[in-house]
Amino acid sequence: MVTRSCKADLYSGGQALPLRDRNRRTIISKEEIRLGRYFMPHRAEIIATVVCVLISVCINLYLPFIMRQVIDGLTDNALDRSALIHHLGTYLLLVVISVLFSRLLRKIPLKLSHKIEYALRTDVFDHLTKLDQEYYRGERTGDLMTRMSSDINIVRDSIGQGLLQGIRTIAVLVFASIVMALTDPGIALLVFSLYLPMVVIFFLILRVMRRQQKDLQEHVSEVSNFCQESFAGIRCIKGFALERRRNTQFEGLNSGLVKKNMVLQMSRQSLWPFMAFWFSFGMILILNLGGRKIISGELTLGMLTQFIQYLLYMQWPLLALSWTMSMMQRGKVSWVRVKEILESEPHIRESGTANTETGKLDASIQFRNLELAIKGRTFLHDINFEIPAGTTLGITGPTGSGKTLLVSLVARLMDPTHGTVSVGNKDIRTLPLTKLRGMIGFAAQEPVLFSRTLEHNIGFGVVKPDKNLIGWAAEIAHLRNDVENFPDQFQTILGERGVTLSGGQRQRTAISRAIARRPDILILDDVLSAVDTQTEAAIMAKLQPVMAERTALFVSHRISTLRYADEIIVIENGRITQRGTHAELIRHPGYYSELNTLQQLEEKLEEGA
Amino acid sequence: MKLAKRLLAYSLPYWRSLVAAFAMIMFTSLTINYLPVLIQRMTDQCLMNTSSPVAERIDLLTKLGILYISIAAIGHLVRYFQGLLTAWIGQKIIYDLRLEVFRKVLRMQQAYFDKTAVGTLMTRVTSDIERLQHFVTEGVVGTIADLFMLLGIMGYMIYISPTLSLSIFITLPLLFAIMFYINGKLRDANRDIRDRQSRLNALLQEDLTGMTTIQLFNREASAMADFDKRHTHLRSAYFDEVRWFSLYFPTVEGGQALSVLIILAVGGLLVLNGSTAITLGIFVAFLAYIRDFFRPLGSLSDKAGSFQVAMASIERIFTLLDTSEEVNEPAKPESPDRIAGSIAFNNVWFAYNDDNWVIKDLSFAVEPGQVLAVVGATGAGKSTVINLIGRFYDVQQGSVSIDGIDVRRFGKHDLRSRLGYVFQDPFIFTGSINDNIGLQTPGISQADMVHAAKTVNAHEFIDAMPEGYDTVMNERGEGLSLGQKQLLVMARTLAQNPELLFVLDEATASVDTATEILIQDALEKLMTNRTSIVIAHRLSTIRHADRILVMRHGELVDQGTHDELMEHDGYYRQLYELLLHSPEEEESL
Repeated sequence: MVTRSCKADLYSGGQALPLRDRNRRTIISKEEIRLGRYFMPHRAEIIATVVCVLISVCINLYLPFIMRQVIDGLTDNALDRSALIHHLGTYLLLVVISVLFSRLLRKIPLKLSHKIEYALRTDVFDHLTKLDQEYYRGERTGDLMTRMSSDINIVRDSIGQGLLQGIRTIAVLVFASIVMALTDPGIALLVFSLYLPMVVIFFLILRVMRRQQKDLQEHVSEVSNFCQESFAGIRCIKGFALERRRNTQFEGLNSGLVKKNMVLQMSRQSLWPFMAFWFSFGMILILNLGGRKIISGELTLGMLTQFIQYLLYMQWPLLALSWTMSMMQRGKVSWVRVKEILESEPHIRESGTANTETGKLDASIQFRNLELAIKGRTFLHDINFEIPAGTTLGITGPTGSGKTLLVSLVARLMDPTHGTVSVGNKDIRTLPLTKLRGMIGFAAQEPVLFSRTLEHNIGFGVVKPDKNLIGWAAEIAHLRNDVENFPDQFQTILGERGVTLSGGQRQRTAISRAIARRPDILILDDVLSAVDTQTEAAIMAKLQPVMAERTALFVSHRISTLRYADEIIVIENGRITQRGTHAELIRHPGYYSELNTLQQLEEKLEEGA
Repeated sequence: MKLAKRLLAYSLPYWRSLVAAFAMIMFTSLTINYLPVLIQRMTDQCLMNTSSPVAERIDLLTKLGILYISIAAIGHLVRYFQGLLTAWIGQKIIYDLRLEVFRKVLRMQQAYFDKTAVGTLMTRVTSDIERLQHFVTEGVVGTIADLFMLLGIMGYMIYISPTLSLSIFITLPLLFAIMFYINGKLRDANRDIRDRQSRLNALLQEDLTGMTTIQLFNREASAMADFDKRHTHLRSAYFDEVRWFSLYFPTVEGGQALSVLIILAVGGLLVLNGSTAITLGIFVAFLAYIRDFFRPLGSLSDKAGSFQVAMASIERIFTLLDTSEEVNEPAKPESPDRIAGSIAFNNVWFAYNDDNWVIKDLSFAVEPGQVLAVVGATGAGKSTVINLIGRFYDVQQGSVSIDGIDVRRFGKHDLRSRLGYVFQDPFIFTGSINDNIGLQTPGISQADMVHAAKTVNAHEFIDAMPEGYDTVMNERGEGLSLGQKQLLVMARTLAQNPELLFVLDEATASVDTATEILIQDALEKLMTNRTSIVIAHRLSTIRHADRILVMRHGELVDQGTHDELMEHDGYYRQLYELLLHSPEEEESL
């Protein structure tokens, strides 16, 4: 609503562009229907802002009138001491009231804008928790971060400043014109014909500045990319003795920075002197025109002073108009970017007919005629097999053959293109997501841990984790010794602010996290790739009974781990090429027996060492 | 204080411009602030001077008007140029500092980069420098300009009416104190906002990266609760800011109104008491001064407290500049015209940190023109050998020499320009293919580059690119396959025509067989007629080496030709067999 009124003002003041104006309006109102919903709970505050503005503006227009009476009274010697004190008393009272409302007229809309910002960001985050893996694959985290922080901040600023400046500017314009026209139409006309071009020129300078700012910003990021590249590729630079050339290049970029900065400064530095000069110009015109009228007796000095005070008073709101308009433009762009998140729909959704029965499902898993394609490329073909409840399946195959995708399908991180994945013979798409995922403990090869305590991380998937459970889970994943060496044991904060875990420790924490849920289905996606063979053997020995109690799927490249599985499948290029027990597979030529030979050789090498 | 002094030293080269800027500041302060004096004269001599004839008054009014607008034009113009000049000086100082920091970083030893995250270094050259820039231009020069402006106004005020001026000035300390207080609170609030925003962002970043994990473990609700906690925290900081911000401008308005009130009261009473010291012109002029008075006052009260923030950045930058570079250049570096190419390790011991010896008592020699292959299991210290020759690190005991000259007696830059490296992770610079091959080394012609590319089998795919050798590569060489990147890097090395060559030939996945053959062929051509050390994983390179060094846990186990070693060394035979059975190159996602 504010956007529209501001724009309307601009266009009604300048040469009207009816067609463009109308087009813009439709676009704006379409966007506003959605942003408008954030304004609805705050109607009272918007009305309060309007009231504060009206009071403040009226008082500020009345004050110069008192000034005029004092000055004219002094000129005509018509003022006595008590009348003067009366005037000054009124003045003081009005100033106090004006200051109070002047504060409120800022506080209310700005606070309101922060409330809307809060509600908006909460909604966006809430929506983000519902979006699936596919969405996150397509978006860069950095970009999402920008939308969540600076874009929402810009939207907030344009709401707050828009309300504040928009309402105030309109009020000032309307009331000041009325008062001035009533006092002296001639000078009033002069004031307006002076201010109009100033607002337009100011707006144009701001526009030029924005372009130059963007230019500079691009150069700044070029410079930081260059630095980033230089620091990250330092070995290469040193290896080829490129330091001097790199320095020269940087010098060039650095000079560019100075140049671009100076271009921006050329317009930025002009803003204030230009404005101040224009004001002086207006002042002298009024003094001259008004002065002649005073000399001829048509005007009093008090009235002239009153006008000069109005000139002063109108200066800021009018300049703010240009600034607010450019703010609104940026706000619109940012809002569109924020809205994009809110309008993205997750592909993985509870189906309308989600099975809500609370009965416990049988933990067997079935893959039927499964095919998975992402962006036109087929990653899994014709996958058909069943994992009976309580058995362990080992999955192996070359890097990139589709093993991770296969296990992701079980947790419904994505849906297959064709065919079905079922748990307990029920298509998982008919199960409530929380129920399905509640059955699963999942550990990934490169797990994400959170910068919280170790305890929090291990108990991550449990509603109320107790110490025994955490201890047990850490024990199974062979994490106990590591924990004892941490400064605060289970209370140690992970990440930059605390202990940075090694790859192996991260993986073992992820295992603990998965088994702490005591899940019906345990999925371990190559979680021992970063631990050495001995630790691996120790973990496997402890994991064995845990796996035996539930349905387990684990991906691994190590024969020593795979041999524990009840059944092993080999996936190559998205197809199952071999399946059977360890004993069966080593006897058949193929990927598995090759792998076996290779690892035996490695082992021998280790022993020889 | 020491920091400020050191920073001040950077402005010395521009002292002439600085003097000019100060002169301009004084000039503007004197001219612009003179304008209300003219208003006073116009009011008293033209408007109110009923004793003179009308025509004379109008004439003077016009004259004074022209004078007014001329002074205003000159004053503001000078002010504009002063602003530009000041900005320029600030930019130049920052330019010098930024260059110095960048050069310093590039001079740092490899070990420094092992310890320091790229992000930290980036902060130094970006946000720390930016804050410094703000400090120099807005802070130091801005303060001086504000001060002169204020002094100018006060001077003229006293000039036209000492009584009125004094009655206004006594309220100043109080007003300044209030503004200073509010500005301090605002800064606190802003710091809270920044802190809380960055804590919220840290959480957000983590949650967004780990969203799949959150969903897998059904933790959406608790993630939302955690988010909300920090988010509410941030909001309350914002509310704080609004509270103080909404006080700031009303305070200024109130102060202005109060000053007007004082003028009306004191002036009015004086006039009523029949004093002739106060004229109506003085009234009007003072009303004009009041307007200009509060801007410099407000910005001064803001700057007075903001210096600490900048000091932290300045300190970090100077700390970086003061970090020692560790590897020292020899006083009189050796620089033979041409290296014959013999390399020798004499009882070398080396550890990256403390007593963790990575190389233990290693001795070997390579004859000029020979190809030496180094083999061993992961962690045997193979790549360290190469690092030591290029002086990325210096040995702790023993020595490494080239042509009998200890590498520590070479200048680092000179030494490395004689060496050529092929790293396992091919580093592609932003820039054209030409730039990536020639590295803008003087003396490498287009023909040389094409020749190099042809020799290492890179010409074909480069030629097939939309703009051939002028195709611009973006960061990290997106759009090229890993194999192509490796070929490109080899073309680069060949074009530089190094006297000694080092190749880190780790087995790489995701290179298809056809490219693999091209790479092997290119490697062979690179090593022809050049002393080369290859950290070898490819059987072909090992078999073609003149000699093979077998390493284990930082020690030399054995050396000889492939056939010799196969004959008598069990460990070598096992290593060889392992390579033989390595899974074929796999195609990745």
